[in-house]
Amino acid sequence: MLPAEPMEQHLRRLRRVIAESEAQGIPEAEPRIALGVAAIDATLGGGLAGAALHEVSATLPLHFGAAAGFALTLAARARAPKKQTLWIATDFSRLEAGALYGPGLDQFGLPTERLLIARVARPVDALFAMEEALKCRALSAVIAELHGEAADLTATRRLILAAREGGALGLLLRPHPSDAPSAAHTRWQVAGYPSEPDGLGGLGATAFSLSLTRNRRGPSGQWTVAWDHHEHAFTALSRGVAETARDGSDRAPLIRIG
Amino acid sequence: MRRSSALDEALIIAGPVKGALRLTAVNDAAAAQRLKVGMPLADARAMYPAIAVADADKAADARLLEAIADWCDRYTPLVGLDPPDGLLLDVTGCAHLFGGEAALCRDLTQRLAAQRYQARVAVAATVGCAWAVARFSSLPGSGRVAGEAGRGVDAATPPGSIRSPSSPFSGGMGEIIASGDEREILSPLPLAALRLSSDVVDALAQVGLKRIADVLDRPRAPLAARFGQAFVRRIDQAFGREDEPITPRLPVPAAMAEQRFAEPIALEQDVLGTIERLAGRLGQTLERRGEGARLLQAALFRTDGKVFRIEVGTAEPLRDAGRIRRLFTDRLDVIGDEVDPGFGFDVVRLAALAAERCEPAQTGLAAPDHAAELAHLIDRLGARFGSRRVARLVPQDTHIPEFAVMAVGAGQMRACPGRSALRTSAPHPGHAEQDSLAPARPVRLFERPEPITAIAEVPDGPPAQFTWRQVRHVVIHAEGPERIAMEWWRDDMGHVLKRDYFRVESREGLRVWLYREWPSDPQQPTRWYAHGVFA
Repeated sequence: MLPAEPMEQHLRRLRRVIAESEAQGIPEAEPRIALGVAAIDATLGGGLAGAALHEVSATLPLHFGAAAGFALTLAARARAPKKQTLWIATDFSRLEAGALYGPGLDQFGLPTERLLIARVARPVDALFAMEEALKCRALSAVIAELHGEAADLTATRRLILAAREGGALGLLLRPHPSDAPSAAHTRWQVAGYPSEPDGLGGLGATAFSLSLTRNRRGPSGQWTVAWDHHEHAFTALSRGVAETARDGSDRAPLIRIG
Repeated sequence: MRRSSALDEALIIAGPVKGALRLTAVNDAAAAQRLKVGMPLADARAMYPAIAVADADKAADARLLEAIADWCDRYTPLVGLDPPDGLLLDVTGCAHLFGGEAALCRDLTQRLAAQRYQARVAVAATVGCAWAVARFSSLPGSGRVAGEAGRGVDAATPPGSIRSPSSPFSGGMGEIIASGDEREILSPLPLAALRLSSDVVDALAQVGLKRIADVLDRPRAPLAARFGQAFVRRIDQAFGREDEPITPRLPVPAAMAEQRFAEPIALEQDVLGTIERLAGRLGQTLERRGEGARLLQAALFRTDGKVFRIEVGTAEPLRDAGRIRRLFTDRLDVIGDEVDPGFGFDVVRLAALAAERCEPAQTGLAAPDHAAELAHLIDRLGARFGSRRVARLVPQDTHIPEFAVMAVGAGQMRACPGRSALRTSAPHPGHAEQDSLAPARPVRLFERPEPITAIAEVPDGPPAQFTWRQVRHVVIHAEGPERIAMEWWRDDMGHVLKRDYFRVESREGLRVWLYREWPSDPQQPTRWYAHGVFA
């Protein structure tokens, strides 16, 4: 047992430490990752919080590719000089949804030599790896693919603390939306969206239908955006144009040879 | 070989030798009944019809010898096997750690006796001499101490020894032969002590040469002519006129540090603390050489003789004690259950199995050292999940989609991104700067293409709809075909695999990479597969 007086001093010191860390809890000048679409950035209060945790899920497992693509675009926009990106996938996810394929990633502005891949056996391993990686200051973004409800409130809180420590963007990627409580800053639901044809008979720029279902800093919202892989930027798709693209479904598909 | 009961009963072990079942080992009780190794089993049965016989198991004997060799690692990292029943230890420069050669021998025999192994130990300046004395000397274990360094130890488990609780070995503590005394010691021994084949020993016996003394002063040339050059070489090796290195069974580490405990330690915290302390010492050794460790091994010697070896690899040469400890913490988290401390570990050794030149990096005062931090993260994830599971994607110079990229363990290639591209055979043409004309590739590729059903409007055309994972999708846009065929030089089976790839977009916005496989036999129908998904 400690004597009474030092204990009191001890408590006072602890209270001061807690007060300080609470004051720092929501730093005002935290890094922001702008998506480049004014409406979305305004909703997010200037862009996606940088050293924070976000959840990206596909509306249906079918759209997991699109959700992965959206996560890639965010990681590409979070890129910082001399920093790398870590992508964590479980073996199950790899079998179910395919492995990350190098040649396709370059189009998202994420060169493969800046990308590290970790394969783990279980979702808990993915969470462990993500927490450790977020603490590492040499990474700009850490993405973990999670099947099932492995990340609960405690786990996501730990991830947020780790992200704040290391300054990296953390993304949890799920094949379907989750209702589980989470401390993540934002939650996105992503689906693929028919692209605008490029006029040459091919597929147009990758389009996403985004739904921001949770936002700690503001309202939620829904947008349709296209990713311009030359400029590495999003552009808003006007609904009208998108509708005409959808109407074109009955015409025979054009073939481009090559 | 292990008998837990039947303490005083005779036990013999028999196996096929030269086409007949003969005794390969006998225990003390059997030896007292005049049973000898080499005797036919039928004779032994005739003498003692009720005697216990066990089958010889050479594989198990070899495993046991390996296990004892592993344990002997506590004395020196240079342990060689001398099958079927001997071990060779190079104790040059190690004996003083145990208080001299005599003390080392005493420690060795006592510890082996505690594990109920009988052993005969000899220390000599040459392997040949130690071998001969350990197996053939009948002198009482007297402990003739010599002050000579540069020595081999031969610990032979004599053929007649069966691990048996009834007869803990209580003989001498080993023979120590001073350098220069070889002639005196070896002369009275039989010629078989020179490690000669039985044919040569028999041939020598026919001409009346039975002891080593008989051949020592004879002219060498006729001996070599008659009994072979190998015979003369064995003499030279025994007397140190020809060098004979001990071949270690485990790689000799580049650097190592070890800690011995009078009281064994068992707590994981203590083990890790010891590893950190040893890492500090190891780091100093490596720093003096300008090196860092790429492969580290911690060997934990349990008091009962079991040895656990835990290895971790590093992406960059490492000598930071704290980081080395973290790596072992992660590794132990995963395999901790297998490392059962039992009654504790009494020796912990940390060795750098591989070391590499380590450039002293100039780091700014304020700038965090990103490269080192990343390398440490890679090491830690590698220690926990396996070093191949933390990988980088390296483009390959092929257009076959499955092989266009290879996952290479990030620990194997230096974490420096600039150098990684140089290590690959040839950079992909459209790799560094994405060529806008390069065909689009999916972000996820299935390990095995998934069969789908598809309907095309024209025989060579893109699918109009397809069913994948039991969902029907209507194609609204399609791009292709892009013909990808097996590279002609790889086509060794005579099959010509041709695939026509299409990039299609469904009404729901799903973008998939499909292909039609053209069969080698034109009579066969074409098949469709989904190979990847686009974002």
